Amino acid sequence: MTLKTWFIGGFASVLMLGGAALANTESQTEWVPSQFTLDNGMDVVVLPDHRAPVVTHMVWYKVGAADEVPGKSGIAHFFEHLMFKATDDIPDGEFDSIIQRRGGQLNAFTSWDYTAYFERVAKQHLPKMMELEAERMTDLIVEETPGGSFFTERDVVKEERRQVLESSPSRVLSEMVLGTFWEGHPYEITILGHMEEIEQLTPEDAVSFYGQHYSPENAILIVAGDVTPEEVRVLAEEHYGQIEPSGLVSGERKWRSVDQIDETQLITHSDPKVRQPVWYRYYNGTSLRRDRDFALALDVGLDVLGGGNTSLLYQSLVEDKKLAIDVGTFAWLSLHDEGPAAVYATPSPGVSLDDLEEAVMSELYRLIEEGFDEADVKRVRNSKAASAIYARDSQSGMANQFGRWLIIGGTVDQLLSYPDEVRAVTPERAMAAVREVFEQDRNYIEAHLLPEDGEQ
Amino acid sequence: MRMKFLFGAVAALAIGACVQTQQAADEPTENALEVEVYDGEFATIQQFVTPGGISVWLVEEPSIPILSLRMAWQVGTTSDPNEQIGLTNAMVYQMNEGAGDLDSQAFFKRMEELNMSFGCSAGREATFCNASMLTENADEAFDLITLAYAEPRFDEGPWERFVREQEVSLKTRETNARYLAGEALEEVLWPDHPFARDFTAESLEALSAEAAKAHKDKIMSRSGMLVTAVGAISPQDLAPLIDAAAAGLPETGIEIDIPQVTLAEPVSDPITVSLEQPQSLVTFTGPAMRQDDPDFYTAVVLNYTFGGGGFESRLMEDLRVARGLTYGIYSRVSSGEYAQTWGGSGSTNNDSVVEFIEGIKENMTLMVAEGMTEKELADAKSYLIGSYPLGFDSNAKIAGNMMGLRLDGLPVDFWDKRNAMVEAVTLEDVNRIAREYLKPENFTFIAVGQPQGLDG
Repeated sequence: MTLKTWFIGGFASVLMLGGAALANTESQTEWVPSQFTLDNGMDVVVLPDHRAPVVTHMVWYKVGAADEVPGKSGIAHFFEHLMFKATDDIPDGEFDSIIQRRGGQLNAFTSWDYTAYFERVAKQHLPKMMELEAERMTDLIVEETPGGSFFTERDVVKEERRQVLESSPSRVLSEMVLGTFWEGHPYEITILGHMEEIEQLTPEDAVSFYGQHYSPENAILIVAGDVTPEEVRVLAEEHYGQIEPSGLVSGERKWRSVDQIDETQLITHSDPKVRQPVWYRYYNGTSLRRDRDFALALDVGLDVLGGGNTSLLYQSLVEDKKLAIDVGTFAWLSLHDEGPAAVYATPSPGVSLDDLEEAVMSELYRLIEEGFDEADVKRVRNSKAASAIYARDSQSGMANQFGRWLIIGGTVDQLLSYPDEVRAVTPERAMAAVREVFEQDRNYIEAHLLPEDGEQ
Repeated sequence: MRMKFLFGAVAALAIGACVQTQQAADEPTENALEVEVYDGEFATIQQFVTPGGISVWLVEEPSIPILSLRMAWQVGTTSDPNEQIGLTNAMVYQMNEGAGDLDSQAFFKRMEELNMSFGCSAGREATFCNASMLTENADEAFDLITLAYAEPRFDEGPWERFVREQEVSLKTRETNARYLAGEALEEVLWPDHPFARDFTAESLEALSAEAAKAHKDKIMSRSGMLVTAVGAISPQDLAPLIDAAAAGLPETGIEIDIPQVTLAEPVSDPITVSLEQPQSLVTFTGPAMRQDDPDFYTAVVLNYTFGGGGFESRLMEDLRVARGLTYGIYSRVSSGEYAQTWGGSGSTNNDSVVEFIEGIKENMTLMVAEGMTEKELADAKSYLIGSYPLGFDSNAKIAGNMMGLRLDGLPVDFWDKRNAMVEAVTLEDVNRIAREYLKPENFTFIAVGQPQGLDG
């Protein structure tokens, strides 16, 4: 997995926030993350985990595809690739070598809200990792020679787009739907960018993008693993603390509240590779940053309704009526701005999408008419709370979780209080959130993934 | 790295004081668990045989209140009867779909209430059941595993669902590039070996819940059961839980004789498989050696520089970084017990497939002719050695790695010896192995997509 990769927002199911504190176990309460800020404005978070002599070192920047200017889509992600090229002190190709020679693994990813770079390495190499990230924060060289690294890397990004997006019919459909859902919002264009705009990106665009966004006060450092906060503080001050802010960062993001879907519509995508049709309905949802209580309640409510094979929709449509192979719900809650909440189903052989839709929606409305059982809600919220304990088994997972939340302005306290907050979601709150989303008069985007001939 | 042997009451004293007291009061001689402790650099492994005769490797990890448990048997899908291909996969699917008084829904809900997971899967050579649980309710979690092993239901509802899902997957695999490439490869390289047998609509038709249930008793036996565990639990507490879980299994199961795969002669021209998409997936496969071959680590080191080392590999450096032909290309040495191959893959635009394949071959030819450089050798070794600890930073990884050792029949101190085997590789070794194995004519190339300029 050493491809420079891109990263798409976040489904509720991968969200599993939370750090410490299922309160009744001693080892849980002992665990405390630390947070401090360097003089130049760079935030630092330390997540100790002393099980193995290994660290995960991440630098998160407050820039993503949502910050791109019109006509320059794809530059945030393309620039992430360029960050692995030469600096004034490191020749082209050497960045990876220096780290891998130390047994380190490295990669990066880009979302609409952020760009993140990471290394996983034996703990004695942490100072070197900081030196390298600090170096490319300020001294990257964008190669301008025709046929040089800027241009070959642009070709790589185009191949990446063909591989992960254009070769996947369900991804193509999803991009069409999201573009409509976020029409006019900075999330409208896919993180990978439009092919014709990527082709036009120039070295000058990259240089200007670098100056405007890559600066210590626009970054968060996360170190997880076999370190103490004090060790990290000393090292971070030495390597990052000396960097002067570029003076070009505006500090403003283009975030704004997402509009309601203005009319109900159907989007279809047919492809000869599709062998199994899928039906979706996307509604307006929310985000944890915009409305935390609503998002927590919706997350629980959607799981009761359609999260996995004990959910109410699954029991009815897959187990009892056998009309579907799969049915479920999901919501994008972890972006800064509101994402969609959706219900989807895959028909059993011989069932038409129209019949499936009718069956799913009538069952959904029957369920939200009836209200949830306490037992179902309790099971879901306890699973979510417990996920915070399991999350601690993955050092890199913890670093990711903290970075992803803090970079959009969330707090460490919110992560730590997640288990308690999610346990406090009542059946009434979960139901109210679900009703808010699926109310009969809401507009929605329906999407069909179809075989080439359009037949189901 | 020291090997320690602790016996009986001494072990109990050292490992779990409160349990030891109990044992002393009851039946001190019969119940004393014999624990062999291996204190290695990467983990302290406690080996013991439960009173019920099950062999367990345990790493105690008190810092997170969870337990990762792996159970496996060295019989996999190759045990399927010829007329019932898919039987082992059908069986493992049903293993968490209800047991005893609990039907499928009740079983899953109980797992959610306990915040645990339990499920089984099968490979060609082995069958696995994995569980994770919170140690605070390990007793109840094990009750559920006990029930699943002793009284699995194989009910009609989950069985029909399995059949419906398989019908869909038989359709969707027709446009899955990786599946198509694998099928094409098996057809030419080992057409008559049991590994080439394929699950089809006909074999699905021939399966039944009764047959699957009977097959479970042939695979999941007490004598064949291997267990590894990592978590906040002592041998004394874990042993009775495992004995209870295994109590309902038959004493012995079947053994399968799998013949070694002998690769057919490579096909000289690339084989093409048509699939409508903008890129082609290109794979290449040739022979490799067994893991117990003295040259195995030489091949691992060589492969890092050739195509396994991400951005440090020649294939990536040339075909992605210098030429921009692909988002990623990798090669690997796969040395299973019965089949050993050296292979790799990458995707490229349909109109650059010829250049891509030629580029791979040029890199093979160059490696055969000139070998690796001293610097490449040093870099490869230092990555392979330096990155090794990264595989030991979570309970789940350590439990999985221990099971890997056990299934491969490797000793408990293997992890501590492995790096020396990497270090011992010489330039002479790698260049000899390159000449023998990396000749382009050793490899069969397959392109799935709409490749331009290839016949075939």
